[in-house]
Amino acid sequence: MIAEYTWLVPFIPMMCFLLIGVIGKKTPEKGGYFAIFGALASFIIAVAISAEYLTSEAFQNNEAITCSIDWFHIGDYTMHLGYYVDGLTCAMMLFSSFISTLIFIYSLGYMHDQGERKNRYYAEVSLFLTGMLGLIVSSNFLELFIFWEVMGLCSYLLIGFWSFRHDNGDEASANAASAAKKAFLVTRMGDVCLMGGLFILLNLFTTLDYADMFATAEIVAAQDPELLTVGLLLVFGGVIGKSAQFPLHDWLPDAMAGPTTVSSLIHAATMVKAGVYLVARAFPIYVMDGNVMLFVGIIGGITAFIAATMALNNMNIKKVLAYSTISQLGYMILALGAGGYLWALGYEELGALGFFAGCFHMINHAFFKALLFMGSGSVIHGTGTEDMRLMGGLFKKMKITATTMLFGCLAIAGIPIFSGFWSKDLVIDTAMAAFENGVGDGATWFIILWVLAVITAFMTAFYMFRMWFMTFMGEPRENAQHCHGESPKTMTMPLIILAIFALLSGLLLFTKFDKVLSVCGVHIDGMEEGIHLFSNMFTYLTLVLAIVGIAIAYLMYVKKTVDPGKFNKHGDSWLYKALTKRWWFPDLYNQISWKLGYGVAKGVNYVDRQIVDGTVNGLSGAVVGGGDELSKVQTGHVQDYSSIVLVGVSVLAVVFLIIVAQLGGF
Amino acid sequence: MIAMEYFLVLAAILFCIGAYGVLTKSNAIVVLMCIELMLNAANINFITFAAYNYDVVGQAFVIMSISVAAAEVAVGIAILLNAYKIRKTTELDDAELTTMRW
Repeated sequence: MIAEYTWLVPFIPMMCFLLIGVIGKKTPEKGGYFAIFGALASFIIAVAISAEYLTSEAFQNNEAITCSIDWFHIGDYTMHLGYYVDGLTCAMMLFSSFISTLIFIYSLGYMHDQGERKNRYYAEVSLFLTGMLGLIVSSNFLELFIFWEVMGLCSYLLIGFWSFRHDNGDEASANAASAAKKAFLVTRMGDVCLMGGLFILLNLFTTLDYADMFATAEIVAAQDPELLTVGLLLVFGGVIGKSAQFPLHDWLPDAMAGPTTVSSLIHAATMVKAGVYLVARAFPIYVMDGNVMLFVGIIGGITAFIAATMALNNMNIKKVLAYSTISQLGYMILALGAGGYLWALGYEELGALGFFAGCFHMINHAFFKALLFMGSGSVIHGTGTEDMRLMGGLFKKMKITATTMLFGCLAIAGIPIFSGFWSKDLVIDTAMAAFENGVGDGATWFIILWVLAVITAFMTAFYMFRMWFMTFMGEPRENAQHCHGESPKTMTMPLIILAIFALLSGLLLFTKFDKVLSVCGVHIDGMEEGIHLFSNMFTYLTLVLAIVGIAIAYLMYVKKTVDPGKFNKHGDSWLYKALTKRWWFPDLYNQISWKLGYGVAKGVNYVDRQIVDGTVNGLSGAVVGGGDELSKVQTGHVQDYSSIVLVGVSVLAVVFLIIVAQLGGF
Repeated sequence: MIAMEYFLVLAAILFCIGAYGVLTKSNAIVVLMCIELMLNAANINFITFAAYNYDVVGQAFVIMSISVAAAEVAVGIAILLNAYKIRKTTELDDAELTTMRW
């Protein structure tokens, strides 16, 4: 029973974190090899656990292997620590530890010239991986929440890794420290919601263990549907923050201020995937309320669309990728929302399709997004800039990087055979199914979301190839940076491995993978769905749109027969400005934090200074002043004292006599 | 026999005169004399109660009280003389005495 050692999966990176922190400075690469070892060991154990679980009887019966120990008691509630292994856990463990291993190997090259600071970097990424793996294997929501917060901390530390001014041509994120703060505070908004949601769920279910909650979900939903709705919405608030969904998405582009490897880690293997994972994990509870799932789908669809628009005209190679991540996360959330909506209506097969599409897209996205980020890191490493206007014609100098990135672009654009095609079209398919089978407003919403998703697919193809063409094709711009040539082997090897996955991971659909991502015992037939994609005319619609997008990008940025300046009036059009300003979301955040945050702060300040301090100061003032006044009684004249004594004694005597008289005399 | 109240009223009047003197007179010697008056008011009360209750304990207390008062006056006068030597005055509301207040 290797599954008994599931706790080792997050434990090893944690030990590596401690080890790197303590003795990392004395080792070569400042602890980099420890980090790689930790990730690799976790991956190997994850492989062993997955192999055992996927061949076990429990898997055949769609049961999870779970085990937990008592942690502490609060009243009637008992909190547990434990692990929960099912198909989703296995898939998540495998891809996040695998991709992390590659990212850490890549870091050896990318972070090579960072000197002493590398020690901190490797310690923090190890802790980051601990957070993600712990979150994946945890057996209840409290444990999940703890690791969720560990990741929040690590993202803050790593985004602010270059905590001095690091100019990358974008004012808003020029300062890594403020970007880190923004990421921390914005995700914190979501975390507060999540915590509130967990309180409600604990109140409803009297436990936070997955196994018990899934078993009693229907009973609880029947008892108190309104409270459950509120709880689920609050939990989804956490997802909105963590997975950078509309309207809390704006921290992710700023998070590009960190090292590229960190972006890669955040976008592909950890952090933002945690939000999607949470929805997928709580799917059996979420499907108890179709309206919540409709809301989830709407948020996902809007996010996918809005983020894609902002990527259209961005000049920063990493920012384009950041927006594409937000957009793809929107797809995943959309698929889960649409699937849950259908499930809630009773279409369990279609619900499982949505679940599968969301999770499958998450896995495929992990591979190609890690690839794209590391590719862009390789370009940045070679040219020393992130501005695409200073690149161009790099294909001749960086053949491996260019080819592998092309694979990533094809995958994200959804060209057949490449992984993105399969999962993205399943997502769009689910949205269509939700429209066809939905009722009332739900159906209307989903046709809108479907249209948004299709347009997003077109935009994705355009902006990804715009990025690729601007970077690698054409002639070097006159003001181009000097390129040092191809990156070292530690950087290109991970790229090649990930390129193979970006090409092939979609074909998992035709293996037994469909059963791995089953939910509540229902799973789709991957083979059938895969073939169905080719008999569906909407698939061809998105495909044609994607190819048109690529063609437009080609004409604009390689052939230069179409001038992009014509569309944006050379940067003067309203839309262009809106996109550059990110739809004014940063301004909105500022306004809210100034008006609301500062207003509240002022109110609190007033209460603190005037009422709390006022009470304390007033009391002490009264005591001091009163003391001053009373001390005047001490005149220094002995006769005054004696008269007071005399009066006092007389009063006492009179009182005594009165009391005696009252009691009836002597 | 003279009623007991007469003695008690006499003692009270004597006590009040003494108290008035203690509270109002500024000369320390007069104050000391007034204290003696108050003491003697108490002594008259003792004697009165002793006589009317046929109890000699009161008389014994008066003897005791008079001797203690004599000793006290001696000490008091001695202190006053020394104070007079230092300050050249026996006034109680002397400015120097009131500097130790607030």
